[in-house]
Amino acid sequence: MAITELPDLIEKGLQQAVELMAVAANNSFRFKDLNSLKIIVIGIEEMESIAEYCFSLGDMSPLAARDGRHLIQLIKEPCRLMILGDKRKSPFNYDCGACGYRTCKEMNKAEKVESLTANGPSCQFRNLNLNIATNAAASLAHRLGLHCRVFSTLAFAALSLEIIEDVDIVTSVSVSAANKNPYFDRHEFWTQEHWDETFDNEFPTFKRGFIGAVE
Amino acid sequence: MERSIKQFETDRLESAKLAAKLILASGTTSPRVGGVGECTIHTFDDPCDIEDICQEVEHMAELKENWNFFKRDAAILRDADVLMIATSLRCVVDPADINCNMCGKLVCEYFKEEEKLPDDPEIAFRGPLCIFRANNISYAIDGMMSQARNLGIDYGVYWSAGAAAMRMKLLPKNTGFALGMGISVTEKSPFRDIPANYADINQRTMNDRIIKRLWPQFRSIYS
Repeated sequence: MAITELPDLIEKGLQQAVELMAVAANNSFRFKDLNSLKIIVIGIEEMESIAEYCFSLGDMSPLAARDGRHLIQLIKEPCRLMILGDKRKSPFNYDCGACGYRTCKEMNKAEKVESLTANGPSCQFRNLNLNIATNAAASLAHRLGLHCRVFSTLAFAALSLEIIEDVDIVTSVSVSAANKNPYFDRHEFWTQEHWDETFDNEFPTFKRGFIGAVE
Repeated sequence: MERSIKQFETDRLESAKLAAKLILASGTTSPRVGGVGECTIHTFDDPCDIEDICQEVEHMAELKENWNFFKRDAAILRDADVLMIATSLRCVVDPADINCNMCGKLVCEYFKEEEKLPDDPEIAFRGPLCIFRANNISYAIDGMMSQARNLGIDYGVYWSAGAAAMRMKLLPKNTGFALGMGISVTEKSPFRDIPANYADINQRTMNDRIIKRLWPQFRSIYS
């Protein structure tokens, strides 16, 4: 019998897992049974460019920079990034008002506002459909025992780098088969100085000698 | 001893209530953007409470042509054993401050300045809402659906019930968006394969019709 080594097993398993996640996302619950999602899975090269882009946003968004730095670490071990996107206009005709316009027609006619992160205004129910699909994919990844986290930052980057095209709103699911869960308790990305500074800003009274003391 | 069917009926309802608790747990622990608490989930298991909400849903159906399908929603939700409503509490007053532009206002400061839609019966949710925040509700709802599937419980998601509960002020202050999910422990799911005109032809309307037809005869026989 042929012997398959662990790295091979993990790589193949991961590929199958993202395929199943795409199926789960495709088959998730939709309002008005509207299935208009665009789902792609990207590889290491695209992830590298997303990481660079996120990192370059450092001054504007520390959160994106953190996720960029994290992604650079992440791609050293087997991982995939699934990006889900949808259009922004409403085909629902619910006239619910959540978008800030009285009717869907008004919203659809409103001027499109483009930005690096998403094009608005977007229909709330489109967003719900998109995010329910995202959660379905993440939920399956969780059940399959993969490390998994939902990222908006990485999806925003994919949109502005035109890795995913023809969509207005995006979100992403990152999965990994790393040795240790790489998504949570990421203390290495925040320095001690950062925490000290944050603490001093948030709790200025903590280091005061007594009430009313002048620093 | 033979067991009674009534006992089964009671146990069935008990199991639906128990399932609702587990579904609530799953919905609560599903992801939230930025790890910030946002959603609450409320359970209505008293048939009278469900009936109140259904009546409000029916009332809303009459307000607007687009909402005519609410009548059918109400008829379906009357068959549910438990009605759960997930809310989004931060989307009105506390935008996510990440300038995502999903609402079309470019930055959150502009969103804060934007006037909300008026308190009008024809408006279900008084937008604009912070869509990035309100998206949390889809994670909550999918967490609930996922648990319901695991438990083998039938479910259906209806935004009409959420909007009606908001209108009835059953939900916490500052609720900006709400979705309803009916769950049912019955042999045939009341949420699937339901006729389009279910609002007009269902068990309750048929009973009414039979009673209306037969009542004069009963009255004459037994008087």
